[in-house]
Amino acid sequence: MKWTDLLIPGFFIWLVQLLLADFLAVETIRPDFLVILVLYWAVKYGRTVGTVAGFFIGLTIDLSGTASFFGLSPLIYSITGYLGGYLMGTYSRLNPIHFSAAWVAILALQFMIFCVVQYQDIWVSNPQLFLGKWFGTTLYTLCFAGILQVIYPLHKMN
Amino acid sequence: MRGLYLAIVRNKDHLLFALSLILSTFLLLNNDNPRMGVIRGKTSEIVAFISSPMTWVKSLMFLEEENQLLREKNLALSLQIESMLNLHRENEQLLSMLDFKRQTKLYLKPARVVNKGIQPNLLSIVIDAGQEDGIERNQPVLTSKGVVGKTIETGASASIVQLITDVNYRLSVRILPSGATGILRWLGDGKGQIREVQKNVDINIGDKVITSGFSDIYPAELPVGEVAGVYDERGSFQKVVNINLPNDMSAFQYVFVIIEDSYEMD
Repeated sequence: MKWTDLLIPGFFIWLVQLLLADFLAVETIRPDFLVILVLYWAVKYGRTVGTVAGFFIGLTIDLSGTASFFGLSPLIYSITGYLGGYLMGTYSRLNPIHFSAAWVAILALQFMIFCVVQYQDIWVSNPQLFLGKWFGTTLYTLCFAGILQVIYPLHKMN
Repeated sequence: MRGLYLAIVRNKDHLLFALSLILSTFLLLNNDNPRMGVIRGKTSEIVAFISSPMTWVKSLMFLEEENQLLREKNLALSLQIESMLNLHRENEQLLSMLDFKRQTKLYLKPARVVNKGIQPNLLSIVIDAGQEDGIERNQPVLTSKGVVGKTIETGASASIVQLITDVNYRLSVRILPSGATGILRWLGDGKGQIREVQKNVDINIGDKVITSGFSDIYPAELPVGEVAGVYDERGSFQKVVNINLPNDMSAFQYVFVIIEDSYEMD
């Protein structure tokens, strides 16, 4: 693996996220292409690369403009990278449904941690709205991850 | 020693994960560090620079629609100014009769929204005005409809604005005509919630909500929203008031930063 294998796609997807996420926004919810990238990297290169790449991508996201909780993105993206790394080379051993369920669960967990920290007030005062935020953010990104599965399935990384 | 080295190499993924968790937590706990602010100010300039072509394309896309809206608004405002000038004259006469000594003046700096962050939820924006334009940390940001947030980091030519939708955002507000005060926080779906409001005040749906002026950041009487619902908290001496926030957080392209709030003495 060359460092350019990570840097060039990483920079490109960051640019896409920075410039296009707002066009694809539904109210205040935007798709997260970078988490999909971290997941793909983790499945292809394993836990170590997944964790490190997740941390640096998270740091870039927070540096690209965040109001409070600077450091939350590195935290959740490294978790995604680390957990995603466990899926490396497992497609042949796992049932395809279990494999898909695993990466969907990893993405759902990432957004859950994000929403728990970011919307802690709503979680207490209005759990329904909190669930709406969590499911909304997760499902919107999953839609794009799903489309990508048709073009370039995650298991091909294995 | 060799055993330790082998153990580190064998478990490097787990160790790196633990390290990234520690570093992230360290960053989370040092959000207010001034050195961090400098780095964030610099990166906001880079983000503003990269985003500027897309902002230009976007503003071209909405140009015709915006022109039409501005023409309509211009006409409405011209009519409004006429009646306000009369009221202003009357107000001046009354103030001089009362020997009123204090006058408030706000200096507004217009800015364009160049980026809305890249997190999956909209919590902050980057604007194309910074220290060179007189913008500092903790200055109120509003649109013509009302308050949208405050500046939290500034670079030379760009600043990061914390939006009202951020969970850590709080605003001291007053409800008119009752004059009751409370603390506003974002609730979701274009709504805010005011807490710490006295229970014995009379508040009705449609009442205006403005800034209270108690804050060091926000001057008094900036528009914030309109009351949408009033609830009594059981076992509490306080009311909970839900309000509609007038700004569509996903749509606005221009904002104003209040760079000075001067009090002139006659």
